[in-house]
Amino acid sequence: TSPEEFFKSGHTNNWAVLVDTSRFWFNYRHVANVLSIYRSCKRLGIPDSRIILMVADDMACNPRNPRPATVFNNANNQINVYGDDVEVDYRGYEVTVENFIRVLTGRLPPSTPRSKRLLSDEHSNVLVYMTGHGGDGFLKFQDAEEISNVELADAFEQMWQKRRYHEVFFMIDTCQAESMFQKFYSPNILAVASSKVGEDSLSHHVDPSIGVYVIDRYTYYALEFLETVTPGSKKTMGQFLEVCPKYQCISTVAKRTDLFRRDVNKVLLTDFFGSVRNVELLPDSIHLQNATLHTHSEDSSDVKSDKPLSYAQQFPMPV
Amino acid sequence: MASDNANLPGGKITFLLFFALVNFSFTIGIHNDNFSEELYVKPFSSGHVMFHFQFTTVWNVSIDKPESFQHYHLFPKSLGDVLTTYKVKELHLSQTQGLWKHEKWGYPPEDAPPGDELWVWFQPHSGVDQTWADLVNALSGLFCASLNFMDSKSTVQPRWSFRPAGLASEFYSANSRFVRYSTLPREVVCTENLTPWKKLLPCGSKIGLASLLNSVKIYDGFYHSLGVHVRSVCQDTQCLTPATELKQTLTVVYDPTTNKNGKQDWSFQSMFDRTLQSQCPLADTRKIYVDVTTQETLPKFSLSPVPDFVLNQKRSGEERKIAVYQIGNHLSPSSLNLKAMYEEKLTFSNSSLPPVYANRFVTGYGLERGGVTCMIYNTMSSNTTVIFMETVPWFLRVYFSSLRIENDGKEIKPYKINFIPAKDRANPYQMELVFRLFANSVTKITYSFERAFLKWTEYPPDANHGFYVSSAVVSTVLPVASQYTATSQSVSLLEESFSDSSSSFFLRLHTETLLVSLPTPDFSMPYNVICLACTVVAIAFGSLHNLTTRDFTASDPSKRKGLVAKLKSFFKKEKESPENKPDSKEEEIPSQKDKDNSKSEEKDSKKKDGNSET
Repeated sequence: TSPEEFFKSGHTNNWAVLVDTSRFWFNYRHVANVLSIYRSCKRLGIPDSRIILMVADDMACNPRNPRPATVFNNANNQINVYGDDVEVDYRGYEVTVENFIRVLTGRLPPSTPRSKRLLSDEHSNVLVYMTGHGGDGFLKFQDAEEISNVELADAFEQMWQKRRYHEVFFMIDTCQAESMFQKFYSPNILAVASSKVGEDSLSHHVDPSIGVYVIDRYTYYALEFLETVTPGSKKTMGQFLEVCPKYQCISTVAKRTDLFRRDVNKVLLTDFFGSVRNVELLPDSIHLQNATLHTHSEDSSDVKSDKPLSYAQQFPMPV
Repeated sequence: MASDNANLPGGKITFLLFFALVNFSFTIGIHNDNFSEELYVKPFSSGHVMFHFQFTTVWNVSIDKPESFQHYHLFPKSLGDVLTTYKVKELHLSQTQGLWKHEKWGYPPEDAPPGDELWVWFQPHSGVDQTWADLVNALSGLFCASLNFMDSKSTVQPRWSFRPAGLASEFYSANSRFVRYSTLPREVVCTENLTPWKKLLPCGSKIGLASLLNSVKIYDGFYHSLGVHVRSVCQDTQCLTPATELKQTLTVVYDPTTNKNGKQDWSFQSMFDRTLQSQCPLADTRKIYVDVTTQETLPKFSLSPVPDFVLNQKRSGEERKIAVYQIGNHLSPSSLNLKAMYEEKLTFSNSSLPPVYANRFVTGYGLERGGVTCMIYNTMSSNTTVIFMETVPWFLRVYFSSLRIENDGKEIKPYKINFIPAKDRANPYQMELVFRLFANSVTKITYSFERAFLKWTEYPPDANHGFYVSSAVVSTVLPVASQYTATSQSVSLLEESFSDSSSSFFLRLHTETLLVSLPTPDFSMPYNVICLACTVVAIAFGSLHNLTTRDFTASDPSKRKGLVAKLKSFFKKEKESPENKPDSKEEEIPSQKDKDNSKSEEKDSKKKDGNSET
């Protein structure tokens, strides 16, 4: 983008919050879903420090996985979506509704490390992807609790009021997914769901060697589309929202564009899935202080003790 | 500026001299750390092979002075910042999956329990509990593990078992106020833990020994354990100034005979699916050691390429032969693929048992009570003192009176006991026993517990899996280094501890973890319960409501008609009601006033009936 476009758009950085809410081996496909989107985000440029990945159960090193440290989203096992360089921020029992809302709204305890915080500002485009088991108006977290669409809408409103996003792209792949974005009322949110209210989202295919479904239909076709996108691609969000027509997905893909101010056919896909690395040139020069070459010699003289130090006795009892 | 001076030869020389001086002082001033990468390979008689990677960074600054932790070179800054911010003096983190079989494999260089184990010694300061809570959160972000679950419910302060491994004064180490120990037996270890661990290495994972670490093969092994150990060590033999040592270890045990029909051959290519193509230029020591003590006896094997030389390691009664490879000598012309070729297939034989080993298991049945038994075996011909430490979660209520230590049926009185009972939802049970293990015997420690009821919100999402109890820790001192591979306390590298003149060897063992079921409610019951409850409420409430709000009128028992008469009158009423009301009235027996009233009421009701019918 040219400098004029850069300063006009108001978007300077990208974040992604990718959530898988399902536990147990038979929900392998939900982990494969979220890891596929994670892989696409990383490939298109969003670094690990800008991705909050929440995976509710471990499939890769699960004792039932015949190919440890791998998660495949295809029975042909072409791509190991788990990969060699993966950082999961919230794993296992940490994936709860409370933690998810806290991540979105930023109201985390002070001791939370940076890698677990969503440090977005008013120029951030945030991609939120959720997958799991859902119903009309709720999404189930780990078979123990639910998040309702009203709570989610309020969380996004809190984000808007605290200026924690510039634009949000909300993707959800569950049954009756449309219900999750029906209650949104904050501006600048573009949402797409894998099925309408009253419809179930279906999974794509089974891997006979594992015995479970490995990917859901919507994410499978979305991934097929994303694999053709490169960081410099000019593909638009409008094209992405048309992915997976009814004959492929069997459920109807629903979208919500009324809260989004721009025309989706003019928005680049990399605005949400890729990472903007723009450099701001300052015309004035900054003078740096002289580096501390002398402090080191001061330090080394302090530490010498007069008596020789000794190692602690590891077994404090008489032998 | 340079171009100006270049015209004058004098100016150019002074500029170069100045640059050289700055560079020189810069080098001495900053680079006071060194890094080594070593790999220790040990084949076991059971056919398994252990690969122990050790990456050691020693930085000549004191961890007691956090302001000296500037100018990071080889020591990772992310870890250094965490250590200084949270006033850490020593940190030991291990992330393990699998159980180390002491009976078959002897002792590993670093013993670790299944799951995650973290023990930290802090600098003396007040408010250590808060610092510990903040530290585990910071480490959970650094290592992508759920270490933030190590809260007060699972944290203990061991009194005798986990003394500092590095430099520390007597006064400091005897004070258990500054140590915290916690484990997460349920924690899974996968590539997401290996990734940040690899990022702490100076050479990363692209060159050097770390390039062998293929996650797909490592997590397919029998046992794997990641370790991060930070402690203070002596800078030199005089030991007047401390240095900080960071040891990153990865122990993997493979079974080369699976899918190979008993053939024991192993190589880098077959075990890691990679060969060693480079060495880390930042490392001072870059070596591979292979334990070839059993090379000439059964099972016979030969190594390719031929090792540079073979060391004879003597460690108080135990003699081992170590083949040493200097990595740099073997990288050209092609990469190093260390291979061992065995002459015969695997034959199963009784391996020699280690001096001390332990087993622990749950006893009892049902969901009300249970017991824990730990058997500690001493195969040496001498007695030894042992410290046994257990941490039991609060919901397994231990009966201290049931604790018994037995040896061959005879009860043993422990020399010292440290038992801190649990506080519900606050602290776990902490037990440390010091007692004597007699020669060539089995000592049995038993205690019983009662299972508590948890509140329904306290169950994890997969409550029917059960709850884990962390490993017990057995510490002792061995007089002989039989099957002992750990490094000595006073040295950092593996090669420095091959020849050790000490006569006692500190040993720490971890037992198995336990999986215990608690009385768990059926979480799918709410629907059924609601139906049942509503039915009961409807019947009881409905009946009561009827009883209290309906107006009852008394009827004359003599006027009560039998069933047949009732039916007759019903049919008569239907036939005659539009016409013969006075007739029906006359049929009734004339009576007293109240009966008149009731008669008139009956007449009214009949009229009403008649009206309603018409």
